[in-house]
Amino acid sequence: MSTEDTFHPLGEEWEGELEEMLDETEYDTDLGLEMARDAMRVTKGELSEAEFHERYHEDVLEEFDVDDRPTEAAWEEAKEADDEGLVERLADVDSEQERREVMKKMGAGAAAVGLGAWGTADNMAGEPEEPASVAAAQEDDDDGTQWGMAIDLEHCDGCLSCVVACSQENNLDMGVNWMYIFHYEDEDAGNDPKMMVRPCQHCSDAPCAKVCPTTARHVRNSDGLVLTDYDVCIGCRYCQVACPYGVNYFQWDEPDVPMADLDTDHVYDANGDWVDSRAPRGVMSKCTMCPTRQDGGYGDDNRGTTACEQACPPGIIHFGDLNDPESDPNQFLDEAREDPEKPSSFRLLEDVGTNPNIVYVGHEPGPNADQISAEEARDRGLGTAVSYEEIGLVDNRKTGNDEHDGLDGGTIGGGLSP
Amino acid sequence: MSTKTPSEADILRPINNTSKKYFIGLGLAGGAFAIFLAMWAYQLSVGLVITGLSDWGSGGGVTWGVYIGAFIWWVGIAHGGIILSAAVRLLGMDRYMPVARLAELLTIAGLSAAGFYILVHMGRPDRMVTSVLGNYHITVHNSPLVWDVTVITAYFVLTATYLLLTLRYDVTRLRDDLPGYFEPVYKMLTLGYTEKEDPVVERMVWWLALAIIIMAPLLLHGGVIPWLFALIPTMPGWFGAIQGPQFLTIALTSAIAGVILVSYAFRWAYEWEHIITDDVFRGLTLWLGFFALLFLWLQLQQIIGGVYAAPMDQSTVVSAMLGHPIYFGALSVVAAVLAYTFAQAIRPSLFTKKRSVAAAVAALLATLFEKVLFVVEGLMYPTFGLYAAVPGDYWPSLIEMFSVVGTIGMVAAFFMVVAKVVPVVELHAIEHLREGGHDHATDGGEEVDR
Ligand code: SF4
Ligand code: SF4
Ligand code: SF4
Repeated sequence: MSTEDTFHPLGEEWEGELEEMLDETEYDTDLGLEMARDAMRVTKGELSEAEFHERYHEDVLEEFDVDDRPTEAAWEEAKEADDEGLVERLADVDSEQERREVMKKMGAGAAAVGLGAWGTADNMAGEPEEPASVAAAQEDDDDGTQWGMAIDLEHCDGCLSCVVACSQENNLDMGVNWMYIFHYEDEDAGNDPKMMVRPCQHCSDAPCAKVCPTTARHVRNSDGLVLTDYDVCIGCRYCQVACPYGVNYFQWDEPDVPMADLDTDHVYDANGDWVDSRAPRGVMSKCTMCPTRQDGGYGDDNRGTTACEQACPPGIIHFGDLNDPESDPNQFLDEAREDPEKPSSFRLLEDVGTNPNIVYVGHEPGPNADQISAEEARDRGLGTAVSYEEIGLVDNRKTGNDEHDGLDGGTIGGGLSP
Repeated sequence: MSTKTPSEADILRPINNTSKKYFIGLGLAGGAFAIFLAMWAYQLSVGLVITGLSDWGSGGGVTWGVYIGAFIWWVGIAHGGIILSAAVRLLGMDRYMPVARLAELLTIAGLSAAGFYILVHMGRPDRMVTSVLGNYHITVHNSPLVWDVTVITAYFVLTATYLLLTLRYDVTRLRDDLPGYFEPVYKMLTLGYTEKEDPVVERMVWWLALAIIIMAPLLLHGGVIPWLFALIPTMPGWFGAIQGPQFLTIALTSAIAGVILVSYAFRWAYEWEHIITDDVFRGLTLWLGFFALLFLWLQLQQIIGGVYAAPMDQSTVVSAMLGHPIYFGALSVVAAVLAYTFAQAIRPSLFTKKRSVAAAVAALLATLFEKVLFVVEGLMYPTFGLYAAVPGDYWPSLIEMFSVVGTIGMVAAFFMVVAKVVPVVELHAIEHLREGGHDHATDGGEEVDR
């Protein structure tokens, strides 16, 4: 599946350089690259150091005649002894002096491992800074990147530009609206039409990921994105059942756009997992927050952006790192909070404990809120409101519309419906 | 009551005599299953789009429907083995001994049908091994679906072990009268058997029965199967602690109904009036009524809780359910079953086996409809109700509907095949009946009323 893809967050070019460098040494290139790949996994917490060392102990011995790195046995020993603390010891290995020694002993193969380990998720967006210690990278991610959005509902035009942009960028089927816009009324809050902008909420405590029987739906360690590994998903649809917001779209039949027509830069993320673009038949999809953009697949300019954000004419979608006080969403929120005219911010269904990463500023839909048609919204004064049909999309995927068959068109015996 | 004396020849009859009717029956059952397999193959080739399912949310459908409802239903029916084993092995209610093995076979068949439904329901069943087993060590901590698969497997293995252990005794003793062409099967079954193992096996079987019985309420239909739904806080039709007991009572109702049907079929086919006596049916019918009562009781709890002063999202789903003809129909049928069983208990002349069979069929239909409705209505009325498309509509496709027929065919064919290979009534039961186990009135005939 993804063997051709770059595993390194700094991109294909960087990986190519590494490969060349390794080729020039007398040591095994494949082993070096494999180790580097797994070292990346260690930094992401998918693999423990002990497992990593255990896995390569034999190979490294064979290749370099020496392996000073701790094996599982040594790990256990260290845990027991624990006089100077395991974390410190492991961190020590990364100190400048030690690293040079290790490099001398092990040659470029080890260097590749070291480089791989540096490319921690945290500095994906910039150049490699200080080599982060493996142990530190495994610690809690609270102060790492957390992509999210602040959305200004008060200025949403209801024009559906974001829905179109997302659909095009991801080659979605008709009715698969990863981004979905509601025009709605709320009888408790006057006659004005209101707007709700609904991408996936990329919950920090995502129930969809919790219930998934395969780990296909996962929260990416490096930046908190909630993604679906299309190569692992079995299509049980439990994530869709458990998601409180109804943002999931199953691929019930063959997708309209074939695999060959997908932009290859827009398919695999930095981990080499197939998590972006429309899903293949039989698996689950939803808004991804454009991970290939965040990983640099669309160039550095597009890191920290999403297609929907860029397409929004009034610029009400503020995408960025919610853990960074200077990020676009946080700046917008700070301004909004200081402005006494602005309503307070909220998150959707905050009390169900999902910890969503979309923060809204504007009217929060009350218990009696009801979706209305775009025509209705226009009648009530929102001149820019556009319906899904008018813009060439499908709102209700099940029933479809005059131009596009819905899923019901494929149902066998569906005509029996009373 | 019949005056015939039960004999070994009686329980060997299914194995040694095969009638034309048998072949017709097997053809029908196997044919229904085969047709469904062909339909499934078609589903695999074009995708689940051929079902009536859709996405919940802007798509306005339900993503789980008949497949999941029928899955729960089959797991529920599989509880027949538990109840009968509990009655016979642990509580010493020997009158049910003649149907104990049939009930245990129903467990195996029901669980197989349920397992098959899991595959049918999936978008990518081919990844079952790599994706589910490959990540088991991680997902088992979180995913109720993984707990389900685990417990169903454990339950299957325990019951199969139990069946195989008790079969060794019978097969060894009846070996000379069993057909030669299955000799390898019998050899395998009785590998290393000596009479010394009998008391050991008896004790093992007792412990296995105990383990299974403890598993049922705590883990199976009282636990992980309802947790699939009851742990989802944003689907108010599902959420809540009552689902554990509610699922269990529904399961037991359908399980007893299943045992009644299977027992009746075998009695009819092999003239076993003197083995599976009327008395067995009377007892089973009472059990059916008792479980139906519990079923209705817990429904009442939910209705009252949902209409009195419930949170908005919950009262929406409860009133939608109350207004649904299927819900009303299912509950009325269960109430009628209850009325019949208690009436015949008070006035024994009202009892006929045919009526009990009709009550069993009614209970099975009611539980199937209730289960499907539970899944569908739960998904249609989520807490987040801003979508105009929610609640959408769902009408199962022909394939989904036929899946029920297909799996019933699969279970029937299973029984017909197994009955040709091994005795489906225990030798112990015959021995017990001959020793004068007829005095049921003193022999635990009253337990069911407690
Ligand atoms: S909004 Fe739904 S799909 Fe998205 S992360 Fe939260 S629970 Fe998962
Ligand atoms: S549909 Fe796929 S991603 Fe969703 S819960 Fe099932 S296996 Fe996981
Ligand atoms: S963040 Fe990306 S995937 Fe999500 S709605 Fe916007 S464009 Fe679509």
